[in-house]
Amino acid sequence: MTSMPLARRRRGRQVWRDTAVGWSFLLPNFAGFALLTLVPVALLFYYAFTSWNVFGGAEWTGLDNVRQMLHDASFRTALRNTLYYTVFHIPLTLVAALALALLLNRRLRGVAFFRTVAFFPYITSIVALAQVWNMLFSPGYGPINAALRGLGVDHPPGWTTSADWSMPAVIVVGTWREMGYYMLLFLAGLQTIPGQLYEAAKVDGANAWQRLRAVTIPGLRPTTFFVVVMLTIGSFKVFDLILVMTNGGPGQSTLVLSQYIYQKGFVENQFGYASTVSIALFLICFGVTAAQFLINRRGSDS
Amino acid sequence: MKRSLTAVLGATAAISLVLTGCSGADDEGSAGGPQTLTLAGWSFATTPEFKTLADGFHAAHPDVTVELKEYDAANYDTQMVADLAAGKAPDIYAQKTLKNFYTYQNGKQLVDVSDVASGLAKTVGGIDSYQADGKTWAVPYRQDSWVLFYNKTLFDKAGVKLPDGSWTWDDYAATAKELTAKLNGPKGDYEHIWQSTVQGFALAQTPGAAIESGDFGYLKPYYSRVLDLQNAGAQVKFGDATTNNLTYQSQFGKQSAAMMLMGSWYIATLRKQQGSGEADKFDWGFAPAPQLDKSTTGTSATPVTFGDPTGLGINPKINKGKLASAKAFLAYAAGVDGAKALAGIGITPADTEAVRDTFFKLDGVPQDDLSKFAFTKHETKPENPVSKHTAALQNVLSDTHTAIMSGSKDVGAAITEAQNRAKNEVLNK
Amino acid sequence: MTLRHAPPVERVSLEPLPRRRRSGYRFLGYAALVLAAAAVLLPFYWMAMSSLKANNDVYTIPVRWLPDPVVWRNYLDIWQKSDLTTWLKNTLILSVVVTFLQVLTGSFAAYGFAKVRFPGRTALFLAYIGTLAVPWQSYMIPQFILFSKLHLSDTLWAIVALQAFGAFGVFLMKQYYESIPDELLDAARIDGMSEYGIWRRIMLPLSVPALASLTLLTLVSTWNDYMGPLIYLRSRDLWTIQIGLKTFVNTYNAEYALIMTGSVLSVLPIAIIFLLGQRYFVEGIASTGLKG
Repeated sequence: MTSMPLARRRRGRQVWRDTAVGWSFLLPNFAGFALLTLVPVALLFYYAFTSWNVFGGAEWTGLDNVRQMLHDASFRTALRNTLYYTVFHIPLTLVAALALALLLNRRLRGVAFFRTVAFFPYITSIVALAQVWNMLFSPGYGPINAALRGLGVDHPPGWTTSADWSMPAVIVVGTWREMGYYMLLFLAGLQTIPGQLYEAAKVDGANAWQRLRAVTIPGLRPTTFFVVVMLTIGSFKVFDLILVMTNGGPGQSTLVLSQYIYQKGFVENQFGYASTVSIALFLICFGVTAAQFLINRRGSDS
Repeated sequence: MKRSLTAVLGATAAISLVLTGCSGADDEGSAGGPQTLTLAGWSFATTPEFKTLADGFHAAHPDVTVELKEYDAANYDTQMVADLAAGKAPDIYAQKTLKNFYTYQNGKQLVDVSDVASGLAKTVGGIDSYQADGKTWAVPYRQDSWVLFYNKTLFDKAGVKLPDGSWTWDDYAATAKELTAKLNGPKGDYEHIWQSTVQGFALAQTPGAAIESGDFGYLKPYYSRVLDLQNAGAQVKFGDATTNNLTYQSQFGKQSAAMMLMGSWYIATLRKQQGSGEADKFDWGFAPAPQLDKSTTGTSATPVTFGDPTGLGINPKINKGKLASAKAFLAYAAGVDGAKALAGIGITPADTEAVRDTFFKLDGVPQDDLSKFAFTKHETKPENPVSKHTAALQNVLSDTHTAIMSGSKDVGAAITEAQNRAKNEVLNK
Repeated sequence: MTLRHAPPVERVSLEPLPRRRRSGYRFLGYAALVLAAAAVLLPFYWMAMSSLKANNDVYTIPVRWLPDPVVWRNYLDIWQKSDLTTWLKNTLILSVVVTFLQVLTGSFAAYGFAKVRFPGRTALFLAYIGTLAVPWQSYMIPQFILFSKLHLSDTLWAIVALQAFGAFGVFLMKQYYESIPDELLDAARIDGMSEYGIWRRIMLPLSVPALASLTLLTLVSTWNDYMGPLIYLRSRDLWTIQIGLKTFVNTYNAEYALIMTGSVLSVLPIAIIFLLGQRYFVEGIASTGLKG
């Protein structure tokens, strides 16, 4: 008769203890995070419903900004372009990064050198790399179109100077730049897979492809999840690459949401509206990420 | 959700209050004794104008020292907006671009300086741009105007007649084609990638054209002409100029083009680059920009061109006791003495009439009469007429520029799209 | 607990092939790798060559791949015209402090998220990830005002505060910790080890590859951060390499060759650190450690 509440109390005490321990682990990071990031971000949710200009005037305007956004053709263009970039950039980078990691996880001669080379695009100044890629893509004088003409293409694309080809060009450069970055994360993930698993699979007669499917991919699950989430967020927020490659042009062909937010805020001083667009970007991005969480959790439970 | 948000807001406000409480004002006191004014500028190593003005003012007013605060040239407004918002901007700050003046004026970040403006000479250009609500909020200390630079050496080599101030755009286009054909190598002209190289002229010269009207039909003839020059090979294609990051300094300075429309700031740059060997040595001059029709051509008329002034304004958070000194500084910078000091270092002040002799005494500045005419005589209209919508409309027009120049859209379709966007996203919002 | 070396992964992933065919493939493979490496390095090559050009020769039609004449002076000039030494010193200080704090607090918090169960854990974690999805330029101004009130702006601490407590490190380490089996921790708990002891003596040694990648990535992002220093560091003697170089670019906006010289100099230290750090990805510490 007395054992039930006792057990419950004990369980209660256990929960309390775990909570205290958990929070003690979080606190050093969380204190800084909450004060320095969470507070300004929370303010954004308030500003999104005001006519905030940067010098303090923030009049509550209710849903005006949201209504404006829904009728804003440029917002739709920016959203469409952002999705275009995201849909291609994520799988391409994921595959390239994983392939690189698998290739460079071996005892090759000079592997240190090759890994550094793969990481180089990420550390090279973005201005310099935009410059070089733009020259490579140059419609009249660039080596890429020279090669295409050599192959018999009469009218090679205008790449960054053409409304149809500018986004593909930016996607190529974005993938090229980031594959080394995600390779690094995959390399770290590959170290968690016990070698014995490969030995066992081999004893079972699995070939290289089957081992990849049965051992490597499942073993990389937490890493892959991390990479996909970071890639998603990174793609939705793509900003500086576009800025230096095309500045959103020609026309609005590569205008993306982050750039639109910057324009509305800092160029046109409509920080209230810029906040609303940020919240929209946040919601979309967060929705996709949350879906990935659910899928991941279901996957790891089964 | 709502309650927790309120809590957050409340907490932030509380924190802010506590913190502002302990950061007291530490400015030195009232008028009288020695004072220090702070002045925001950018790139001091290559933009000596701020130091020239500060030193010149200090020489005339020995108890006032002007201390310079350096900002980044490309991100001046971003940094300034942040500093003003946080209440730690300098006493006097430059209005680097006219496009952003509205942000500061409308945001109540400028002191009314009408009294300073009314004391300035009539020949100071660009004051009107800083007027709003019947008051003047900043005063211009420099006013560049766009002119036509030409390479005399290349013209002589091709045996083409030099510009004489009588040109319309058709004369300009014909000469560019002729030069290209005869020079075999260098192009007739170089058109830099900025939207102003086309739109600035179209807006300034077309009667009745106004950005705020949302009717951009006035751009059409200007774009057609540029596209024609581009297709004829008389100038580098826009796509090649952007992808290869061509610089106008090297296109004209290294003689890849015989003519170039550019702001008068380039006079000082070219003179310096020829001196240091970065640019080739050749004879050059500058003429008034080509005109829409014959009514404004010739040296007896006043050619119409464009250019935005650069101004100085005062931060309302300035210590009251320093306001008089700050206004005196503005009067100095925009007045004759400031103009002379600026001309002495090759900068185009807002009052060009007053400084002609000083300016043309400098080494390496062309001495011909047409250059002197172009420097002093012009009706310079603002590229960014101040209004609530200018910044947003210029963004729309910037997209139009890249779409047309890259050949992604034809002129008519691009202009129609721009008008629709202007109407839906900016004017009728 | 002892750490043993992992069996080299390549031993299991290469098919046994006849010796000659195998060396032929190997040669082809290397040739392909070298070619790909050259293609990847092309922009860097252009950057390095441009750093040796005269100014007005950098951007030309068509592209020139070799400098003529070679201007070695650029490397001297940049040292004289800019405060490269100060910038490098500040960047180094910041990178080390930020990386240390991010790795320490990140891995500490990650343990709480990955291995301690308490109510509200998931919600809190989503809040962490959520902030990653908000573009910085939209809350830059409120944050700047906050930092100014805290008297952080125009000090190096502003950058530390900005970078050291991000969600990135927490998320990365959490994912890694989740691949470490709970049984290992339960065994340690039964042995009477405290949670902090488990983090210190089991998790940290096991997560060397993840710590290494977090260290490298934090280092690179601090090193290459531009907007943070642009907004927060106004005094010249606080400038980092990126803000210094870009301001230099904007000041001498026609000195293209010098700009490239500066870019080459800013990449090199990172490349060297990477070259040294990447060896932590071969030792397979985690996989064998579990058996120890």
